[in-house]
Amino acid sequence: MSSNGEIRFLTHEVGSLAKPPWLVKTSAGKPLEEGDVEHAQIWGEKLEVDGHEGLVELLRQDERDPDEIARWSSRYCLRLQESAGVDVIWDGEQQRSEMYAWAIAHSNGFEPRGTIRSFDNKYYSKSAAVGPVSMREPYHNDEFSFLQSAAKHELKIPITGAYTLAVWSYDEHHLPRTGRLGGGLSRQDEVDARRELTLDIARNIIRPNLEALIALGATWIQIDEPGASTEEDELDIFVDSFNVSVEGLDCFFSTHLCFSDYNLFFPAIEGMGGCRQYCVGFANYDATELGTSGAERPGYEVISKWRDLPYDPILGLGVLDIHTDFIESPELVRDRILYAVDVFGDPARIHVCPDCGLRTRSWDVAYEKLRNMVEGTRLAEESLNRAHAGATK
Amino acid sequence: MQAFAPGIYPRSEDLVQATRDLDRGRTSQEAVDEQVERDLGELVSVQQAAGLDLLADGMLRWQDVFRPIVEAADGLEKGALTRFLDTNTFYRAPSADGSPKLSQPLNGGYIAPLPGPRLVTLPSPFALAHGTGIDPAALAEGVLKPQIESVDAELVVLEEPFLARAENGGLDELGAALEKLGGGPKLALWVTFGSADTLFEQGLADLPVDAIGVDFYATKASSVPEGLGKTLLAGVLDARSSIPEEPSEIAAFAGELRERGVEKIALVPNGDLQYVSAAVASEKLARLGKAKTEAAA
Repeated sequence: MSSNGEIRFLTHEVGSLAKPPWLVKTSAGKPLEEGDVEHAQIWGEKLEVDGHEGLVELLRQDERDPDEIARWSSRYCLRLQESAGVDVIWDGEQQRSEMYAWAIAHSNGFEPRGTIRSFDNKYYSKSAAVGPVSMREPYHNDEFSFLQSAAKHELKIPITGAYTLAVWSYDEHHLPRTGRLGGGLSRQDEVDARRELTLDIARNIIRPNLEALIALGATWIQIDEPGASTEEDELDIFVDSFNVSVEGLDCFFSTHLCFSDYNLFFPAIEGMGGCRQYCVGFANYDATELGTSGAERPGYEVISKWRDLPYDPILGLGVLDIHTDFIESPELVRDRILYAVDVFGDPARIHVCPDCGLRTRSWDVAYEKLRNMVEGTRLAEESLNRAHAGATK
Repeated sequence: MQAFAPGIYPRSEDLVQATRDLDRGRTSQEAVDEQVERDLGELVSVQQAAGLDLLADGMLRWQDVFRPIVEAADGLEKGALTRFLDTNTFYRAPSADGSPKLSQPLNGGYIAPLPGPRLVTLPSPFALAHGTGIDPAALAEGVLKPQIESVDAELVVLEEPFLARAENGGLDELGAALEKLGGGPKLALWVTFGSADTLFEQGLADLPVDAIGVDFYATKASSVPEGLGKTLLAGVLDARSSIPEEPSEIAAFAGELRERGVEKIALVPNGDLQYVSAAVASEKLARLGKAKTEAAA
C-alpha cells in the first residue's frame, strides 16, 4: 500500500540470473571472443551501467581477475533488474559458484561427490557430509558489502537453507556404511539421521551467516529452500531448521519454495511463524490464457492455504515461468495478481516475483519477462485502484 | 547368478559440460554426439570389466525415463516439470490427449547399438500412465508394444517408480497392461526406489512378466515369496547413496535370498544410477561385479 492509500504491490527478484559469457569464460580461464566483449558493450549501454567502458577495456586484456569480472557482472545484474523496474533486487548469484556449491565450499565437513542431473541438461554438484559440519567463514559478507555499495534499489539477500543443503547432500557421516540391505535401516533411522545433519547445518552454518549479514545491515534475508518438500515425512525437519536458524534474530525473513506439490507443506508450516513471506512458484503450473477465475488460474488454486496460515505471512506470488522462453504478457501477469488478491482479500499480503531464479534464461528473455512482470503489476494496481475508487464514490 | 544395470546412467563430467555448452550455444550437436559415443564406450568398458551379463546403453540421451517415448507418440505431450519421487531431479510429467499411439519406434540414438547381449529399459505402462488419466493397458498396446516389438534385446526392463507409492494399489491395472506386452523379448518389471513388501503380499510375483525387480534398501528379504519361480532382479546397489557397497555384504544377502528358494537372481541397482555421479556409479558397478563373483563362489 502506498502512502496515498492506493494499492501498490512490491515486486522483487527471487534468485539467480544467467552468468554472461565474459564471466563464465573468465572464470574458466578461457579466452574471450569479440562477441563476448560486444555482449558487455551492448548490455552496458542498454542498461546504462556506470563505467561499463572500463569493463570493456578490461575484457580486451589477456589477463583478467575473475573476482573483478564477477563484480562487474553483479553491477550489470543489479542494473538489469533496476532497469526493468523491480523494487527489491539482488545480483542473481553472479559472485557465487551456485547456491549449493558455494555454501558447501565454504563449510567444513563435506567432500565433493560429482555432478548430478537436475533436469534435462541442467545439473548440480553434490557433496557428501563426511564429518561434523560447521561454517568456515561467513560466506556472503563480501558479496553483500559490495552489493550495498552498488545497488540503487532496495536489496535483499538469499541464503540457501539448512534443509536444502542437507537433502541435496549425501550423508556418509550419520548413516551406516553397511547393514542397510534387506530393509536393515528403517525409514525412521533415515529421518533421524537427516534431522541430525539438518539441525547441525542450521546451528553451525546458517545461523552464524545470518548473524553476520544482519551485523552488516541486511534487512531482508530470503532463506532458499527449493528442496523443502523432497521428503514428505521430513517437513517438520524443514520447519524446525528454519526456526533454529532465525529464532531471536531481528530481520525480515522469508523463504523460497518451488516446483513442489505445495499441499504437502500444510499443516507443517503452521509452525513457522518467524517466516514473514513465502516466495513461491506457481506460473509453471498455470494456464497461459487470460482470466481471473479459479478455473482460468489452475496453477494458483493452492494459494488459499497461505492465506489461512495463522500468522498472516505475505505471499511472494510467482508469476513468471522460469523454465520457458515464453514471455508472459503484462495482461497475463495482471490476471494472476488479480486472482490472488481475490483469494487473499488483502492486497497488502501479496508481493510479485518470478517463480524462481531466471538463470536458465538468457538475459534478453529474463529482461523481457521482468519488464512485463512490472508492467503487469502496474496494470493490476490500476485495475484495483480504479475499482476501489469506483466503490467509494 | 547374473548382474546388470538397467536404467539411466549418469553422464560423465565431460558430457555434462558438453550438454551445458550446447544449451548455451557454445558447442555443436556433433561435438555432443561425439562425447556421447565416448561416454557409451566407457560405460561398455566398465560393464565388461565388471563381468556384467547383459550390457546396457545407459540411456545417455534420455532426458528422463519418459521423454523420448512421449515425444515419439501421438497423443502424448511433455507436461509440467515435476520432482521425481524424493530426489532432486525433475522430469516432464507426461500428459495425454486422446488415444496415444507410437508414431515410430525410437531409433539408434535413443537405443544405442551394443557389442553383446543386451537389455533395454523402457517405462512401465503404469508409470507412463501416471497422472495422464489414460488406462495403462491402452498405453501398453498403443505405445509400448510397438516399441518393444522393434527392439532386439535379451531382456526389456520396464521401469516402475510409482507402483510402490500408489495409494490405491494398481497391481490389477498394471497386470492387465502387462498382458498386452507378452510374446516378444523377456520382460522384467523393475519396481524402483520403494518398498515392495506390500506389493508382494498383493501378488506382485504373479504379474505376467519373466522377472520382478525390487529395491532391497526398502524391501525385506522375507517379503519375497519362498520359491519364487521368476528371476528376481535384486536391487542391491543403492543408487541414491554415495556410499560404496561391500561386495561381501551383497553376496551374503544373495545367499539369504537363495535360502528362500529363489533360484534365479540378477543383481541390479535399486533405481537409475543417474542419482550418483559417473565416478561413483562406475565404482558401484565394479563392486556389483565382485559381488556376483563372490555370490557365485
